[in-house]
Amino acid sequence: MSKEFQAIVVGAGPAGSSAALTMARAGLDVALVERGNFPGEKNMFGGLLHRMTSIEEVFPDFWERAPLERHIAKKGTTFMTDAASFHVQHETASFDRTPYNGYTVFRPKFDRWLAEEAVNAGATLINRSTVEDVVLKNGRVNGVTIVGRQGKLSAPIVVAADGVLSFTALKAGLRRPGFNPDQMAVGVKALFDMPKEVIDDRFGLVRDQGFANEYVGCTGGVRGGGFLYTNYDTVSVGIVVHISSLRASGKTPYDLLNAFLEQPQFTKLLNGGRLMEYSAHVIPEGGYAMIPELYGDGIMVAGDAAALCNATGVNLEGINLASHSGILAAKTAIEAHERNDFSRQSLKQYKDRLDLSWVMKDLKGFRNAPKMLHIDRIYNEYPELVCSMMEHIYRIDGTPKTSIPKLILREAKAKVGLKNVFSDLLTAWRAL
Amino acid sequence: MNIDEIFDFTSFTIDREPHIVLDDKVCAGCDVRGCTNCCPARCYTWSEAEQKMTFVYDGCLECGTCYVVCRRNAFTRWRYPRGGFGVAFRMT
Repeated sequence: MSKEFQAIVVGAGPAGSSAALTMARAGLDVALVERGNFPGEKNMFGGLLHRMTSIEEVFPDFWERAPLERHIAKKGTTFMTDAASFHVQHETASFDRTPYNGYTVFRPKFDRWLAEEAVNAGATLINRSTVEDVVLKNGRVNGVTIVGRQGKLSAPIVVAADGVLSFTALKAGLRRPGFNPDQMAVGVKALFDMPKEVIDDRFGLVRDQGFANEYVGCTGGVRGGGFLYTNYDTVSVGIVVHISSLRASGKTPYDLLNAFLEQPQFTKLLNGGRLMEYSAHVIPEGGYAMIPELYGDGIMVAGDAAALCNATGVNLEGINLASHSGILAAKTAIEAHERNDFSRQSLKQYKDRLDLSWVMKDLKGFRNAPKMLHIDRIYNEYPELVCSMMEHIYRIDGTPKTSIPKLILREAKAKVGLKNVFSDLLTAWRAL
Repeated sequence: MNIDEIFDFTSFTIDREPHIVLDDKVCAGCDVRGCTNCCPARCYTWSEAEQKMTFVYDGCLECGTCYVVCRRNAFTRWRYPRGGFGVAFRMT
């Protein structure tokens, strides 16, 4: 296979398909290259798709069109120890109205849909093709070679949207070889089958309402957290752990997942559920500090490939940033074609656009969040502190009660140390 | 749950050629071997008796953890399976 296009997008994930869709709609002849048998086959995430305002601009009826599981009406956080848990939850009618604030989705369905929309707009989807290398012409990126289907594709612009390890960005010299395991996390997930009625009753939901819950303290002291998301008639549960911390612990991600699933309060939520699928993926969690070079001669990098993930510990956003960056790369590519200038200087507009957008503003604004998430006490001492304080507050045992402020001081001193509490609060304040 | 069962719940189309190849001499000289505990698909096994690292690629979830965690860059090849092969998620 050898063909010429006006642009090549590597990877039919949310960044790539958004880019291809935007370019195809503007009339560019664009190839969308995907290594899976279909888009989404290789893609895995926790399960929560945050609101995608940039896609809503293309599809104002997004929530009618896209293959979504449930919209998120209810969000919770649980502080957990081996034996106890303390739960806070937020629910509002405004998240139960369109435009919805977020959804649960299955990537093999959602990514496939978005890629099909790009094809409907005129993009050429090339499945079963792993990009092996970039092709250079006069020192500029001018295409890619593929394996699976063998061959070479040429275009004056390549958008690298090939995910977290982006070998396309590496081959083009835009990211350094090797990653810092301090900046990377791995997520493992188990999907459980559960009748819709059971999910509705168990989690207090009606219609297509969904529930998203995050867990702290469920990872055996390893930096990370757990999650539970309700799909239409399945439930996604899993953990995300920092790779450096996991390595140092000597523990395995599946044993940590298993311990989480067996925590007495958590295990009740999965009663009767049948295991359907197991999956895993690396997440770039270094934030602003780990963003690679975003553009070069004939190439731009978008989505996870550009580490555009905002993990603040409160919201874990990725796909919405990916999609928006893909659209901005596409707009830059369209203008580059108008100027007939595909140089590094011309494509710098992509970075300028990103810098002005909420994507970079958020990443910059929360650039201290990774530092906060490296406070190991969050994953052990604090959940224990919260749970034991609540136990003391609720316990009736025929002895005089300690006043709550005194109790807080006493427990904080014993479990964490007051100096640590103040320094951690300061770090959190700066991060958030 | 018997955690051993979890690995049977993922589908694969296995290629003849491995997409990841190790230089096991490098692994023998490594004192961390984070791959053995971090890989979510338990593809890496260190035998203390034989002082040898064994890697099986057919259960690989293509997650990227080993690529990130390896301190010695022990890979003589680390690429994704060629198009159409490897892990196939259905619903995740």
